[in-house]
Parts: sequence; C-alpha cells; structure tokens
Amino acid sequence: MFFLHNLERRVTLHPSYFGRNMHELVTTKLVKDVEGTCAGDYYIIAIMDTFDVSEGRILPGSGLAEFTVGYRAVVWRPFKGEVIDAITQTVNPHGFFAQAGPLRLFVSSHLMPDEIQYDASATPAQFTNNADIVIEQGTHVRVKIIGLRTEVGEMWAIGSINGDFLGYVTPNHICGLPTGIGSRKKAVAC
Amino acid sequence: MTKIVRLGHRLRYPITVVKLLKKPGDKIKKQESLMEYSFKWMKEVGDSIRGDTWQQEQTTIVTWDSPSDGELTHWLIREGQHIVGDRGAMEVKEECSHEIQFQGLCGMCGKDMTEVSWAAETRDTARAPINMVHDQTNLTVSAVQAQRTEEDLQRRLLQSRKLSLVVDLDQTIIQACIDPTVGEWQKDPTNPNHESVKHVKSFQLDDGPTDLARRCSYYIKMRPGLEDFLKRISDMYELHVYTMGTRAYAQNVARVVDPDKKLFGNRVISRDENGNIFAKNLQRLFPVSTHMVVIIDDRSDVWPRNRPNLIKVSPYEFFKGIGDINSSFLPKRQDLLTSGATTNGVKKGTKKEAAAKNNQDADAIGTDDPTVTKRQVEEQERAFEKQIKDRPLQVLQEKLDREDEEAEKATVQSDDGSESRSSSPPSQRHHVLQDDDEELKYLEQHLTSLHTAYYAEYDNTHHLTTNPPTSVPDAGRLLTQLKSRVLRGTKLVLSGVLPRGIDIHRSEIGLQIASFGAELRAKVSRDVTHLVVNAAQPGREKLLEARRRPHIKIVGQEWLAACFSRWAAVDETPYLFTARLVEEGEMGVGGVEVDEEGEEETGNESGKKLLNGKGGGGGGPKLKLVSPLGQTHTLQLEPGEDEDGEESDDDDGDDDDAGNNGEIEEGLLPDDLPDGQASPIDGLKTFNWGSADEELAEFLASGSDDDDEDEEDEEGEGDEDEDGGGGDRGKDRDGGYTPEPEEGGSSSSDEDMRRGRRGRRSRTASPAVSASAGRKRKGRGDDTEGDEVAEEEEGENGTPAKRLRRTESQRGSSLRNQYAAAGEGGDDGAAGSGLPTPGRSDGQDAEMEGALNGGGKQEDDEEEEMDFDVAELEAEFEAEFEMEVDKARAGVEGQGVEGQQAHGEELVGGETEKG
Repeated sequence: MFFLHNLERRVTLHPSYFGRNMHELVTTKLVKDVEGTCAGDYYIIAIMDTFDVSEGRILPGSGLAEFTVGYRAVVWRPFKGEVIDAITQTVNPHGFFAQAGPLRLFVSSHLMPDEIQYDASATPAQFTNNADIVIEQGTHVRVKIIGLRTEVGEMWAIGSINGDFLGYVTPNHICGLPTGIGSRKKAVAC
Repeated sequence: MTKIVRLGHRLRYPITVVKLLKKPGDKIKKQESLMEYSFKWMKEVGDSIRGDTWQQEQTTIVTWDSPSDGELTHWLIREGQHIVGDRGAMEVKEECSHEIQFQGLCGMCGKDMTEVSWAAETRDTARAPINMVHDQTNLTVSAVQAQRTEEDLQRRLLQSRKLSLVVDLDQTIIQACIDPTVGEWQKDPTNPNHESVKHVKSFQLDDGPTDLARRCSYYIKMRPGLEDFLKRISDMYELHVYTMGTRAYAQNVARVVDPDKKLFGNRVISRDENGNIFAKNLQRLFPVSTHMVVIIDDRSDVWPRNRPNLIKVSPYEFFKGIGDINSSFLPKRQDLLTSGATTNGVKKGTKKEAAAKNNQDADAIGTDDPTVTKRQVEEQERAFEKQIKDRPLQVLQEKLDREDEEAEKATVQSDDGSESRSSSPPSQRHHVLQDDDEELKYLEQHLTSLHTAYYAEYDNTHHLTTNPPTSVPDAGRLLTQLKSRVLRGTKLVLSGVLPRGIDIHRSEIGLQIASFGAELRAKVSRDVTHLVVNAAQPGREKLLEARRRPHIKIVGQEWLAACFSRWAAVDETPYLFTARLVEEGEMGVGGVEVDEEGEEETGNESGKKLLNGKGGGGGGPKLKLVSPLGQTHTLQLEPGEDEDGEESDDDDGDDDDAGNNGEIEEGLLPDDLPDGQASPIDGLKTFNWGSADEELAEFLASGSDDDDEDEEDEEGEGDEDEDGGGGDRGKDRDGGYTPEPEEGGSSSSDEDMRRGRRGRRSRTASPAVSASAGRKRKGRGDDTEGDEVAEEEEGENGTPAKRLRRTESQRGSSLRNQYAAAGEGGDDGAAGSGLPTPGRSDGQDAEMEGALNGGGKQEDDEEEEMDFDVAELEAEFEAEFEMEVDKARAGVEGQGVEGQQAHGEELVGGETEKG
C-alpha cells in the first residue's frame, strides 16, 4: 500500500559545496541517497518535496555540514494479505519467483490452485493447468502476500495465487479489469 | 503431517512427569507449557563462610514448553512416568511442515522461520536445508520435498526415455576468450584467421566481475558441430549447464549456444549459485539420486564426488594458449594428456602447482571464505588484464607469420625454381586458429551408447507401469561398465607423464586409466603391455626396460588420450615410438652447435632425445635413444646409413656448422628397422641398463658440479684458434685428437655444452674429482690406443680419411663415449666398443668423471699433488705442460698441438682457480 509519509533525515555536505545553493544541493543529495531504498518495512518510492531544511551544523573534526531535512515521500509498504501485481521471473519445480517493483516474491506450488501443475518439459518451464493458464517467465500474475520478512535494506515475501481473482493476469490487465481465475472468459473478451 | 516431538536433551534427566497440561486434540503453540515434570538435584546448603556446608537433595518442578505449533494428537508419556533420557513426548499434527523456504520465510504458510525461541532445540530453517534449484540460492527445501521433486523428475524422464546430462561450458562445448584480437580478425577479411573466427560469437557482460571485464567483449567459439550435437543429444538427454563462470556469463553463453532456450531452458547453474567455489557437485542439483545423471566436463578433478557419472572430454582449445577463462576459480589442472608442447609447459609447473594445490586444499576448508573468493576474483581480474594487454593470440600469429616469412625466404634462396611457386599464392599465411576438433563426434557416440544401454537395462528390469522410480538403473554404474571394457587387459606403465613423488594410482591420469579398465603399473614387468611415454621427457629406466621386452608397445601419451576420447583401444601404430639407441658421436665432425644441443639436451633430460626422423613403419614419431654406445658398435649397427650421414656431415662440417642441425634429423640418425628384422642392437637387451643408468646419473651430476674447467676450456679454445695457423679448423682439431680421441673430442663438445650452462653452475669442484682423473689416465693405457682404433677402421672402410675423421668425432663428441672407453681400461677400443659393463666399481666411475673434467692427458702424480697444494705447484705445472705439448707435437706429426696445449692450460687454469 502506498502512503505519503513525512520523514526526517540528516544530510551531510562536504565543505567544498558550501555556498549559495547549499539547500539545493542538500535536496539533491537527499533524493540521491533516499529514493528507491528500503527503509525497514517500507520502500521509499519518491520524494515529493522537502521542507524544513535546518541550519547547517559543522561537524567537529571532519568539517562536514550536517543538515536535518524534513521531507515528504511516497512510500510503499507491502502488507500481509495485500494483493499486488507482479511479473514472473523464474520458474522451478517448487514454485515461481515474481517481482513486484522492488519486492521479490516467491509463490510455491503449494499455494497454487490444484489444477495448476509444473510442466518441466515446456520450454521454458511453466506452471499450467493445461488450458488457458500458463505461468512462465514474464507472465503477469496477481499475488496475495501471505508472508513478509525484512532485513536491513531488503524485503522478501511469500505470495499465494490460491484464491479468487488471483494468479494469471492476461496482458489486458491494462484495461484495469481484475482478471483472476474465476473471471477468465470475461477477461479474454476484454 | 504428524510428527513426533521429542523432549530434547536439555532437560535434567532423570525426570518424572508430574502433570500433563494439555489433552489430545488441543491446539498448541510454540513456547506454550505442555506438562510439568520434576527432577532431583543436589544443593549446597549451610554456612559457606564458616565452611560448614553440606549437600542436600532438592526436588524441583518445572514446565516443559512446546517446541512446535499444531494440534496435539496424543501423548507418548503419561503422568508419573520416570524418564531417564531424551525420548518422544507427543505426536503433533502440524499445520505446515515448512518444507519450502525462501529467505527464511516458509513458502507454504508465509511464517518467518528465522525466529528463535528457547523452547525449540533446532531452528525451523534447518527443516529445509537442501538447495536444489538451479538459479537460486535462497530457496531451500526439505529432504522429503527434494525426494518428491526428484521422483517427479525421474518419472518424467523415464516416460520420455531421457536422461539428465550436466554440461560444462568452458573448454567442453565452447571456448571463451577476451582477447580483443579476435574482434579485429573478425573485422578484417584479409587476416588468415578471418575464416576461423567468422563464426565466433561475442557478447558484453553488463555485470562483469570487474570494470575491466565489463568493458571487454567475450568471444565464444563453439566446438565444431556443437549445434547438431546438442540437437541430437537433447532427444536423449535433458540438458543442464553447470559452469564455474558467473551467472551472467553462463546465461550469455547459454544464449549463444541455445538462442531459443530449447536445449537448456533455465537449467543453468553457475558459480554464483554453486555454493562451493572449488568443486562441482551433482548433489547440488540432484540431492537424492544421481542414477539418471551423466556429466560431460573437461575436468574430472572438479567432480570429486561424482566421478562415476562423469564422461571426461578432452579440453577444447581453439584460442591457443588461452585455456579456461574461469579457471582461476578451480584448482590448477593436473590432468593434461595432450601433445608435447602443452604438456611440457604444464609439467614445468607441476611442482609449483602441487604446492599451490596444497594451499588451495587448505583454502577449500572454508569454502565460502570471502577472502578466498576475493583473491580468486583478483586472480581472474589479473588474468583478464593480461589477456587484454598481451593479446596472446596476436603474438602467436605474429610469430607464425615470422616463421612463414622466414620459410618463404628460405625457399626463395634455396633454388630459383621454388621462388615463383612460393610467391604465387599471395601470402598464404598460416593461421593460429585451427578448428579441427572431433571430440563431439565421439562424445555423441558415447552418450548414445550409454543411453541405449541404460534403457536396455531399464526395459529388462522394469515395466513402465509398475516401476517404483527409486529403483532405476544407475547410469554411473553403466558408464563405469562401458568404460572399463575399453582397455581391459591392458597393463600400462607411465613414463615421464606424471611428476615424481605422486601416487600414480590416485593421480588424475591414474584414476582415468583405472576407469577405462586398464591396469596401471609402477614398474615395467613381464606382463606389461604398453609403456606410455611423454615424448618431451621420457623416463629413461622404464624405457630401457621396455626395450628389452619386445612385446611391450611404447606409445606416446597421445595414444592414451585418443583411447580415452574414443573409448576404444585405438590402434597403436601412429603413436608407436621406437626406442632406438643412437650413437650421439656421429652427430658431427664440425657440428659444434649440434653437439652442444645434443649434449645439453641429454644432460638435462637423462640422456634421451627425441627427434622426428623420417618416416619409419607408421610414419609416427621415433624415439631416438642416445646412450653410452661405443663407436664400433654403432658401425655394426647401421653401416650404410652411417656412411650416408657421415658424408653429408663432412660436407657441411667444413664450412657450415649450422647446417648440421637439419642434417641430423634427416640423415644422421639411423632409420627405424622394418618390422620383423632383427635389430643389430638386440644383443644389448641382456645388458644391465640399470647399473649403467646409475653410473650415468652419477656422472652427469658430477659434470655439473665443476665449472672450473669450463672457463679454461674456453681459454684453451681461444689458444687453439690462435695457434691453429693455417688450414681448416675442423681438420686441425681432428688431427690433434688422434692420439687421444676420446678426451680431445669430449672436451671440445663438453665445452660447448657447458658454455651454455655456465651461468647456473655452482663452483664446487671437488679435489677428489681431479685426483681420480689422474688415476684414471694412468690406468687407461697409452696414447696409441686411439690410433689403433683409427687404423683398424681405416682398414674396414674404403675412405680412410673420412672414416678416421668420423671415428674420432664420434668418439670424441660424446661424453658417454669417453666414459665407456675409459671404462674398458686398456682394452682395444674396437673390440670393447663403448659398452659399459655392469657392475663397475665406484672408483672407476670417479675416474670417468675425472677424465671428463680434465680434458687433456695430464701428469697424474702431479695432479694429485695439486689437489693438496695447488697454488704452489702452479708454476711447475705450467712448465710441465710446455714439455707435454712439445712432446706431443713431436709425436703426433705436429698435429693437434693446439688442442693439447689448450687442454693443458685449461687444466692449469682450473687448478689455479681451485687454489
């Protein structure tokens, strides 16, 4: 789920940058440092604006100036139970890996509908129900997150496609229709 | 999904169950108290300050907390039970068995597996310890799940009648290099290599291991016929890539080899996922059963655990001298069994490699040690840098071009007729890169026959409907069977192939020989069938031993390689060596360079020399065995050829020494005998070569010890030239040596040889040596001996002058000649020839050495004295020499003065130095 989040960060600036456009530089550096990182259990997607750049304080010893910057950012925090769209990366007999933005998901074969089976003889290997559902590398899937784990700067999730409206998403998902397993035919028509 | 939960060994046994807190059917959670138990223990009570304490038994009641979640199905213990050790406490039905885990998350229920609690003795992550997915390291499964997956795989393979084939990339199906020269050659149609590199594919890695690798292109040459090979093989095998390159590299190569991903799919495993940086392991991909797996790899040492399943292919070397660009991640290779040139290079480094291997073994203990990895990455980086900078291919081509140019020039100069010929094809340059590899052809045969054998056995023992997939035939066993038939009954001895001090049976080659059913012997004995020699440095003793038994075929190690590659006992004829004794002395009257070369080689390589002579029976290489043979014997050996050789030698000898180099290879050495004809040297078969070898070794060792004479030799040479006055130098020398053919000749050739080695000699001439030299000379009889020999031969041969000259040079130029002749003592040279007799005493050996060192004929007694008080007697000696010289001049028709004088002075000089 996406949030607008007010955050604060200390930014240090090298003395050689001291000058008139210091605040601009501080903002640039902040954007560079922070955007696209995983901060604990959420990703900082984009910084909307910065406000309240504090007065610089020279750090004793190094001469760097430290600014405390308050900023507002779009963050994405995946939740357990959240349904997200992802793209299949690799397929193996135990399940498949999918990527949802920065988040890597694993969907094991136990968390798929029973009719979807692994097919190793296909090239490339795929999960399929031998009908209209084929999950192979590059397939769009809709996944429900059932487990999350975070480490410093990293996040992993376990997903499930066992449920209504989960799983294979036709390329038509661009039209915004939820195209789960239950509504396959409608989706194809779209 | 019930499992039995044990009490765990952390409890203070013996315990008594006091109360069960949960009933069967209850849901339990981790760390929830399930029962109470009591245990007894001793406690120290009393006043510890006064020391008035005693032990008192205490009974404590504690709770036992659940190590796992689930539903309690029933207890295995009851209240009041006395328990003495760890045992099962209850049966729990678990909601999730956590069999698939991804980065510490259960792939089935999404729980975090990394949580640790006091209640559980083992971590949940340990429940899925097996990593069997090609492209992931963070996905692990339990043993049960692994087995299930593998059974599925086997069932599927059996249905489609396939097997799994694990394919190595580097030097097995492709060769990669990063030499930018390849790219240039590709762009340049005029380059002689253009044709070869036309089909070389290239890619750039976006995430190469280093900056350097990121900038350079990888050039991938597929083994000839690879596409068809893979296409056909993929009908019988499911292909996996297993490489020690990085993931990006592996994927890119797979893309080159298999653009549609039809062959390999995503079954690619690389160094990044391997989990071990030194060895490959089938268990990484097939943790339960490797019965249906076959490996093709050019290295067997990286598969320590899966040797039976391995088909070792000969490494593909298209880009000469590049090797395996990812080899810095593997132990140094020690199993090369290819042609002389490469082997030579490899063997030189073997000692170092062995040491390096030890280091790496030590490293291998901590397989994922980041420092080791870092070092290897650095090593690879260095190798890359070197390749990009040095451009080894370009260097090779330039060298080849130069050789071509020279060859062209030579032809132009030699005769006018050839001039037009050589210039007419416009710069038909040779090219470094030759694409003449046939390995895949054989490999396909092997794989096909293995597949056939496998399914033949499978059909015999199973019916598709009833088979339990656990009992499929073992491909590894079948492979071993197939291979062991290849050389069954063959008993091999290796010579010069492996470095000394290595357990031959555990070496790479030894293991391979054993796997092909041949028997490897350490020593030549009666039932040995083949002697495999390394042409570059054959082991002398084994060779001589093998010569004595005509049924032993002496083959080059290429024969062995061919057998390994074709899985057949290849016809030995093209690889057959003929061990032949060659009189080295015949190498030239004036051929100083030749002698030098010969001597040096024999000196360094234990007295043997390989020359590619003109074709014998099979047109293959011939081993010319240079040994301590007497001159007369050689004459008997091959009179006709000797004559020819001699004539050409003579012609050149006078004006063009360098010309002899070519002469030797063509004419001087006797040809092979046709099969069946008795060799004139058959008589030698009964000779005890072992003792001769020892003597020779001793002699060589001593020869390298004293350098004093060398320098004096040179001085003497100079003098000789000055004094020579008029006339042909070669003739002069011949004449000069007449009284003392052996010594004169030897010193001149010695000298040449030593000149080359002078730099590395240690200056440790021992007095004993010169002393013995003196003794030897005394015992050996007088000067006329040599004359007699010469005269005898004159009588035998029609051209006395020529014959004489040759005789002398033959005897003279070989160290061993002299050694032999001296050993004969006073015998006449003709009868005794140079054959050293077995059982010679050490003293005589010493004499030999001394004789060599001394050079000229010298006063014996004085010399012995000199050893003790050299400096003082120096002047006296000089006088003595003058006298000697004069005497000689008078005695020997005024010839050879120079030579003797030279030697005399040389000796004095030597003594001076010692003083």
